Amino acid sequence: MRSRPADLLIAQAVRRGGPWLAALTAAALLGAAADLLLPAALGRAVDAVVRTQAGAAAVAGARTGAEAGSGLTGPLTTAALLVALVVACDALRVLAAGVSGARAAQWLRSRVVAHTLSVGAGMTRHLTPGEIVTRAGVNVEEAGRTPEAVVTAATLIVPAAGSVVALALIDPWLAVTLVAGLLLIVTVLRAFMRRTTAASGGYQQAQGEIAGMLVGALAGARTITAAGTEDREAARVLAPLPRLRAHGLALWRLQARAGVQAAVVVPLLEIAVLAVGGLRLSAGGLTVGELLAAARYVVLGAGLGSALGYAARIARARSAAQRLEQVFAVPPPAYGDRPLPPGPGTLELRDVTVRADGVRLLSDVSLVVPGGTCTAVVGRSGSGKSSLAAVAGRLADPERGTVLLDGVPLREIGREPLRRAIGYAFERPALFGETLGEAVAFGLGARDAPGGRSGHAVRVAAAAARADAFIRRLPLGYATPVGDAPMSGGEIQRVGLARAFAQAGRLLILDDAMSSLDTVTERQVGRALTGSLSDRTRLVVAHRVTTAAQADQVVWLENGRVRATGTHDRLWDDPGYRAVFRAEEAS
Amino acid sequence: MKLRAPAEANAPLSGPPNETATETATEGAAETAAETAASPVSGTAKSGGTATARLPGRPGVRSVVARALLREPSRLLWLACWSVAEALPALTGGYAIARAVDDGFAAGRPGAGLMWLGVLAAAWGVAAVAARQVLLLVAGIVEPFRDDLLERVVTGALRAGRGGDSAAVARMNHQVELARDAFGAIITVVRTFVFTLVSVAVGLTTLAPEVVPLVLAPVALGLGLFLVSLPALARRQREFIVADERTAAAVAAMAGGLRDVTACGAEARVAASVGREVSRQARAARALARVTASRTLSLAVGAWLPVVLLLAGAPWLVRQGVTGGVILGSLTYVMQSLAPALGGLVQGLGVSGVRLAVTLERILHAPGPPVPHGDREPGGARLRLRGVRFAYGPGAEPVIDGLDLDVPEGDHLAVVGPSGIGKSTLAALVAGLLTPDDGEVLVGGVPAARVHPAARALIPQEAYVFPGTLTENLTYLAPGTPPDRVDEAVAAFGLAELAQRTAGGPLDPAELSAGERQLVALARTYLSPARLVVLDESTCHLDPAAEARAEAAFAAREGTVIVVAHRISSALRARRVLVMDGTRVLLGTHEEMVAASPLYADLVGHWTG
Repeated sequence: MRSRPADLLIAQAVRRGGPWLAALTAAALLGAAADLLLPAALGRAVDAVVRTQAGAAAVAGARTGAEAGSGLTGPLTTAALLVALVVACDALRVLAAGVSGARAAQWLRSRVVAHTLSVGAGMTRHLTPGEIVTRAGVNVEEAGRTPEAVVTAATLIVPAAGSVVALALIDPWLAVTLVAGLLLIVTVLRAFMRRTTAASGGYQQAQGEIAGMLVGALAGARTITAAGTEDREAARVLAPLPRLRAHGLALWRLQARAGVQAAVVVPLLEIAVLAVGGLRLSAGGLTVGELLAAARYVVLGAGLGSALGYAARIARARSAAQRLEQVFAVPPPAYGDRPLPPGPGTLELRDVTVRADGVRLLSDVSLVVPGGTCTAVVGRSGSGKSSLAAVAGRLADPERGTVLLDGVPLREIGREPLRRAIGYAFERPALFGETLGEAVAFGLGARDAPGGRSGHAVRVAAAAARADAFIRRLPLGYATPVGDAPMSGGEIQRVGLARAFAQAGRLLILDDAMSSLDTVTERQVGRALTGSLSDRTRLVVAHRVTTAAQADQVVWLENGRVRATGTHDRLWDDPGYRAVFRAEEAS
Repeated sequence: MKLRAPAEANAPLSGPPNETATETATEGAAETAAETAASPVSGTAKSGGTATARLPGRPGVRSVVARALLREPSRLLWLACWSVAEALPALTGGYAIARAVDDGFAAGRPGAGLMWLGVLAAAWGVAAVAARQVLLLVAGIVEPFRDDLLERVVTGALRAGRGGDSAAVARMNHQVELARDAFGAIITVVRTFVFTLVSVAVGLTTLAPEVVPLVLAPVALGLGLFLVSLPALARRQREFIVADERTAAAVAAMAGGLRDVTACGAEARVAASVGREVSRQARAARALARVTASRTLSLAVGAWLPVVLLLAGAPWLVRQGVTGGVILGSLTYVMQSLAPALGGLVQGLGVSGVRLAVTLERILHAPGPPVPHGDREPGGARLRLRGVRFAYGPGAEPVIDGLDLDVPEGDHLAVVGPSGIGKSTLAALVAGLLTPDDGEVLVGGVPAARVHPAARALIPQEAYVFPGTLTENLTYLAPGTPPDRVDEAVAAFGLAELAQRTAGGPLDPAELSAGERQLVALARTYLSPARLVVLDESTCHLDPAAEARAEAAFAAREGTVIVVAHRISSALRARRVLVMDGTRVLLGTHEEMVAASPLYADLVGHWTG
């Protein structure tokens, strides 16, 4: 069965609630029973009061009154105890549901996070970042609340169904009236749901227009501020506001109509039951207390509608658990346990083939990058440059073939030595860490946490990436929180470069990591690559001629295959090679 | 970020001036929490946000809510009237049932019993009509409130003058909807409770005055308990909302940077830092569950204690001559009207109240301070900088330090240097968008920040085109420009092809190429009355020929032109060149700069060769 693992997952998560789950179940069942018994107990208490009254009227005298009073104590105590039980169970149920739900959610969420991280870069081939966030957020909450949904549904169904039975015991026609009324409520609410979706479409569209125009205007924020035309822009953006309000009011009107219709059904049901019960009372077939009980059972019975709503919640919880299973179904890459022997950082690819979704990205690529040299990878977009960069440092595993660093296959190297040896810089780096200093030190590993010894390494790397000067000009320098630093695309690239420079022990892989730098900065970083960083092996995916010209060797890719390898000067004679740069620069 | 307190700049929206005083007086703990809450939401676009929270002229949550409620006092009056009608079953319910039993069914007069039930049914009918009116009246308060909030979001974001990412805008929209729903819920539950309480009190007094203390005393006690526990509940609720959002932000950052985490081998560290947020959220959820559970106590006291007291006091009541029907009626009052209303209040205030406070704090404090605008006419377009120093924060190295610069009226100056060296900062200082920490920037003798916006123009790299016609876009800074002037600009900047393509229809900014957008922005500034024009890399998407044509048009135009150069060719066309290389600033002609600045010589060699 497809949902078997999902149910298993829910069961595991639910068990994290520990004793709270038992408390929840006990409180819910006990509370439900007390709920169901309470109207009857109240009815009996009222009947006892009425009997006292009748007795007092028949025989005037203190002694008889006292006797009748003592007959009251039993039903009154029962009712009071039941009230106390209902209240206590309710409080315990709320507490247990909250705590067990929080525990289950915490366990599920931690597992999603841990598994996503262990799969790493490969996860994005299966799920987009947004989908991962949804799974770790809403889906985890829904799955974590399964016990609450199950138990609450039960606690609603027991008294609701029970009260229909109780009513039927008093008078079958009362039960029939109640069921017919409930069907009416459901129909009204259904119709409301349908009409709401239609009306809310227009509302959301007007809302979207305002948001869209605001985004557009904010893109020109500097122009608008300089021209002092903020208020004119605001008026333009807010032009759909009257339409938004009209749609909003239409929604309210719909709600008013349907909501009011539904709200009046239960009281009318109750009155109908009271009328039928009152007639029986006149005929002597019913007591005052039973009339009270009947009225209360109508209210309890009307709760059946919301109990049905919980069935939908249970279904949602199961489908949420299935979505979590999709995350856990992606296998994480296995790391070896071999250390790296001393070496210059020679990178070798042997017959490497990479395929994604049935499309070949690299085909039988073999290549050697000698330790301490710089190799540029060029080719038109879609030629496989980024796939090559990804397998060279094990961000992805090739389908066939082997990648070796200083003679050791990457798959066999332990995670820690592998990542300390290889540093990556990307076109759009994602920066982690609280401050910019931490962001640069992010690849240094746990032992080289920022501060102390690594502080120097961070500054040296930042200087080589031409990031030092602008970081020092930020409000708090290296201590500036990443979120507070307004950085351009080029500046973010420079921080990403600095991070890779600080990290890379032997091999530095630059995947289009200088595309947003201005020419002056690019030349300065290029000088660092051939100067202070020249002890490391460098693999540079590049679009610009200058980068290729500075490399010791150039690998020219075409349709996932190596078209040619050699120095830039030698390849430049080939018109096809020159065309690569023209195409790249035009794009 | 330097913060000025621009009293004049935000006067139009902030309402009566005494509101500021109200805010400082009434805002308490709520504000501190909102500052913490603001960080995950405003994300990357936030800087100095905490400092802005107490700026004068920013309305507080309470004043905004009060204004929404009091916008139309007559509406409140109608709301009260219909609320009375809506509470009719609460007023008559117990009484009608007591009479139906005592005078009708129990007295052997079923006709009278049915008649009293008919009265109750009629009361419910009236209440249904009233409920509809009430809902529409509440809508009439809530919808303008939403409009008001949206207006604040839009004007606030635009006036803060900071480019926002679309995600932040979407989050703001969501906050507005949350605030609107919470506001509606609060009005509903508070109103329902108040009118139900009064109706029940009146009904009970009519039915049996002896019963009143047995019911109202525990209700008052329960309400008191709830109000006492409300701050703690609000705190927990707020902590949970904040923890929830922080977790979401941490997971989003992780999911968006998985490749980088793998590449840096930082899985364990990221797992630990996200895990901290996850545990924090779980702790907040557990704490919230605890206070929510204890909240049921006040509900128990308010809603169930009257039932117990009524039953316990029954023998005494019976001795006072109270009948079984009256006890039935009293129980109906408590269980049918009072308990649901109290439950709604406890639930509604505990959740929606906090939701409203949190979202409103964000909406009111998110955008940052508005950029002030000057109103002084400069005496000409001569630019003078004396000892100008500017840093982006007290702990930051200055971007510009001790800069002296004279640009006479009619000059054409190019600013050259690598990116991030401070060219855009200089442009912003000249345009008055930033104020120097030290020294002065004078345009025609007037400090740049005090100069009227119409007197100078800045064209940034990201050209702004809005979805209006081409003519509307071009006359944006000079409304009422004669058509022949517009045609002249269209010709001068090579926009004829675009004009033909759009044929007077509205432009779709997304369909224009980056170069076309820049041409529109350039032509627009060309038509503006500004005598001082700053082009901040505003030709970077143009081909060299179009760039030359645009700069020539500006050179022929009256006034001073400062070009932050994207290509070295811009420097070659300028009369003078300012070179910023990070350590010093040099000024002179092209030839002088080639000789004096190795960087400049390098640039010339590189760009041209």
